[in-house]
Amino acid sequence: MGKPAELLPGTLDMLILKAVSLKPLHGYGVLQRIQQISRNALEIPQGSLYPALYRLEHQQLIAAEWGVSDNNRRAKYYTLTAAGRRRLREETAGWNRLASAIGAALSTTPEEV
Amino acid sequence: MLRRLRSLSRAIKSRSDFEQGMTEELRFHIEQYTDELVRSGVPRQEAVRRARVEFGSVDSVEEECRQARGLRPFDELARQLRHAARLLSKTPRFTATALLTLAVCIGANLTIFAVVEAILLRPLPFPDAGRLVTMYNTYPKAGVDRDGSSTANYYERRGTIPAFASVAIYSYGAAVVGEPGSTELEKIAAVSPDFFTTLGVGPSLGRGFTEAETSLDDDNVVILTDIYWRKYFASDPQVIGRQIRVNGASNTIVGVLPPGFRFLSSDTRLYFPFATRPEDRSSTQRHSGGNSKQMIARLKPGATLEQAQAQIDAQNRALEGNDPEAKMIADAGFRSVVAPLHEDYVRSIRPVLLWMQAGAFALLLIGAVNLTNLLLIRASGRAKEIAVRQALGAGRWHVISEATVETTLITLAGGLLGLAAGGFGIRLLSILAVDRLPLGGHIAIDFRLAAIALLGAAVMGIALAVPIAWFNLRGHLNSAIQSEARGGTSSRAAQSLRHGFIVAQIALATVLLTGAGLLGLSLKRAMAVSPGFRPDHVLSGQISVPYSDWDAQLAFNERLLQDLSSQPGVRAAGLVNVLPLSGDNGKSSATVEGHVRQPGESPRGNYSYGVDGDYFAAMGFSLLEGRFLTADDSRRGRRVCVVDDDFAHYYWPHTSALGQHLFEGDQMASEDQGFTVVGVVGAAKQAGLTDLTAQGAVYYPYALRRDGRLSVVVRTSQRPELFGLTLQKIVRQIDPDVPVNDVVPMDTRIADSLVAQRSPALLAGIFSAIAVLLVAVGIYGVLSYAVAQRRREIGVRMALGARPGQIRSQFLAVALRLLIAGTILGAVGAWLAGRAMRTLLFEVPSLDVTILAAAVGIIGSISLLACLLPSQRATRISPVDALAGL
Repeated sequence: MGKPAELLPGTLDMLILKAVSLKPLHGYGVLQRIQQISRNALEIPQGSLYPALYRLEHQQLIAAEWGVSDNNRRAKYYTLTAAGRRRLREETAGWNRLASAIGAALSTTPEEV
Repeated sequence: MLRRLRSLSRAIKSRSDFEQGMTEELRFHIEQYTDELVRSGVPRQEAVRRARVEFGSVDSVEEECRQARGLRPFDELARQLRHAARLLSKTPRFTATALLTLAVCIGANLTIFAVVEAILLRPLPFPDAGRLVTMYNTYPKAGVDRDGSSTANYYERRGTIPAFASVAIYSYGAAVVGEPGSTELEKIAAVSPDFFTTLGVGPSLGRGFTEAETSLDDDNVVILTDIYWRKYFASDPQVIGRQIRVNGASNTIVGVLPPGFRFLSSDTRLYFPFATRPEDRSSTQRHSGGNSKQMIARLKPGATLEQAQAQIDAQNRALEGNDPEAKMIADAGFRSVVAPLHEDYVRSIRPVLLWMQAGAFALLLIGAVNLTNLLLIRASGRAKEIAVRQALGAGRWHVISEATVETTLITLAGGLLGLAAGGFGIRLLSILAVDRLPLGGHIAIDFRLAAIALLGAAVMGIALAVPIAWFNLRGHLNSAIQSEARGGTSSRAAQSLRHGFIVAQIALATVLLTGAGLLGLSLKRAMAVSPGFRPDHVLSGQISVPYSDWDAQLAFNERLLQDLSSQPGVRAAGLVNVLPLSGDNGKSSATVEGHVRQPGESPRGNYSYGVDGDYFAAMGFSLLEGRFLTADDSRRGRRVCVVDDDFAHYYWPHTSALGQHLFEGDQMASEDQGFTVVGVVGAAKQAGLTDLTAQGAVYYPYALRRDGRLSVVVRTSQRPELFGLTLQKIVRQIDPDVPVNDVVPMDTRIADSLVAQRSPALLAGIFSAIAVLLVAVGIYGVLSYAVAQRRREIGVRMALGARPGQIRSQFLAVALRLLIAGTILGAVGAWLAGRAMRTLLFEVPSLDVTILAAAVGIIGSISLLACLLPSQRATRISPVDALAGL
């Protein structure tokens, strides 16, 4: 495993939606979950997580509710809304198209030209 | 989009919750991370440090979060508001001047607009009120502009004019209502059955009138207004079918009108059927309107006023065929005019109101110009600060929004004060008897007007920000920063802008002051007009006589005259059916024996009166020829009459009027119906003091005219007001059921008839006084600033030997130049305004040189006074201090 890769612009939102779609999470949990599901391959600057969460909440793609954390502290938990689920589906499809297109483009050999 | 707005509004509403939650959430994150680092073996102290460093600045994350939530603009706004409020509180003199200016200007506009709204703009309180029209007969060539409509007109037009959905006729009156001993005089109206359906609002309880009730045998029914129902029947829902006594006869209540029902400005409390005799409806009575009966109609959907007018014209032409007086009526220029009800009702007051609004608006302009100048001066004082901030990265948008926030804060605060001033203004208007104007009883500042005023204030704030933002953004960065002067340099462009504003201000104030002068002079001229009699020491009152029996009425008159003349202090007492200048006098015609109308000569309408007792002596008429009518003429039914000077001159220019014969009405009758002229009196003003045409008047013995209206006039030796109670007592002694009202000295009545001239003149006077004051403040402000700006220059010149007088005259010369330019512009404006408001003026030219000179003199002297102070200050600048930069 090499050095963690920098996030492409615009992909943080998608990852947050994915993380929250699996299980309601608080902000720190979102960070841990993204690192976990990306197998520590992605580095999230901690400070940029919260503005992204607030923006997604403002767009009502995720909803926030105060709850109690594992260690019995008050924490704000985020869940995916119906609109968020729709957006995640669209973004995933879009990303897959983009990734396969770029993958195909990059794997082109001289013979295929 | 909507969802986002909702999320934003939640965040704003629970702003402190939002902030608290955010802080807590971020702290939780950092602590969780710290714990995790500790668990992985990092020493606690080091873990805390690393967690903080990796997270980054909490403040900037919070700021980004707020921005993500759309809260940034609001934070920025709040910050700018605080900044603006702080700046304003640091300059209390400027702030107070600005607020006071705005309060006065916005208050004046709000007050006048409240009047304009209530009278001209607000629709009448009936469904689809725009389709209501009125009709009146006019005989312009006979000098009769309006003659109401006749009963015959109503019956002929009912159902025959396709453009009308319905037509109705009504007349106002008064009736004595109640049981003997506890009677009240109530205002009443007689209305045709279709009156309420035409208006579209009918009784909320019971029913309207039926066709059967328009016969005099069957008209003992009444509809109550809500006010009357509340007052006398305590809103009893069982009131239908009960009886009330009206003019001595019993009437059955058949309906109650809904609350707030009010037809135009009438104070009618009870409605009766418009009942007439069959002969009143016949075509021979077509032209007996006499202004006491009015018609209204409702246009059918889709029908236009023009169609209605064309149909009425066509009907009149068709009907004239069977009219015995067709030729004469045509010669009189007869026509029936259809006009929108609302517009027609307020026609007399409309130009005055619009001019008042224009005056108030001019005041607002002067105030706004003043504020702009003061704000520009302030901006120059801060030019360097703003230049530095721009150099340090403040954006264009920031500079613009900062200026806008500041000016809008001022204008909104001024707008709030203006609401208070407007409330005060409305009170002032009620002192000026504005509630007596048509529809003037509904004037109020309501929520809607307040909202309009505040919106106007906000718009004004934005407009005021434009020059300030322009000034701040102009590319003068370098020069401002490099300039040694504390406040930065005053650029030529900004200076000429300020000077241009001062010139505009002076011009506007000149126009206002001249306008006020013209109105004032016009009022003075109108007041100086002799009414044609001597109104001093005359008490007048209206008596409502409930007798349907003519002899009973005459007996009452005789007794009243006797009792009055036996009172000490009474010099003469008389009776008349209608007082001159009371607004109730209509014109009718008289036919002079031996007078043959020349081709092209129209029949003439003239005022006719029935008089009893020593009416002429009591009113102070001058006798030109023959004798006055006496009580004896009326008692004995002598067929004699008195004519006025104008009448005599028109019909008998070369011979004496005495001994001539005339007939009441528009045709000769048998010899025994004629009247012999026994006297000629001086002509009097009849409808108003500002009447221009002399129509002539004929006075007949009261007993011979069968006009039940009655007014009393008493000439007293002491002050006439003191006789009021005695008059009431005497009438009550004769018949306790007969009320006397409107007991007013004759000269008060005359002064009141000028209310339409007095109020505008007074308001214009107030407006122009404020305008002059504002101009003085404006000039003072600009010149003070100029002196402060050029301190250093003045210091240098004084150090080089300039005399104080030279310095002073330099500033005075600037002021004088502005004054001259403003005055010339103002004179042109005053001339244009005077021409446009000619209809409001009475015997005053549209440009009166004396008034213009006076206006210029007043503004000039006050302006010079306002610039003397700063100029004087300039001469006291010490060269040493100025050069030291103190």
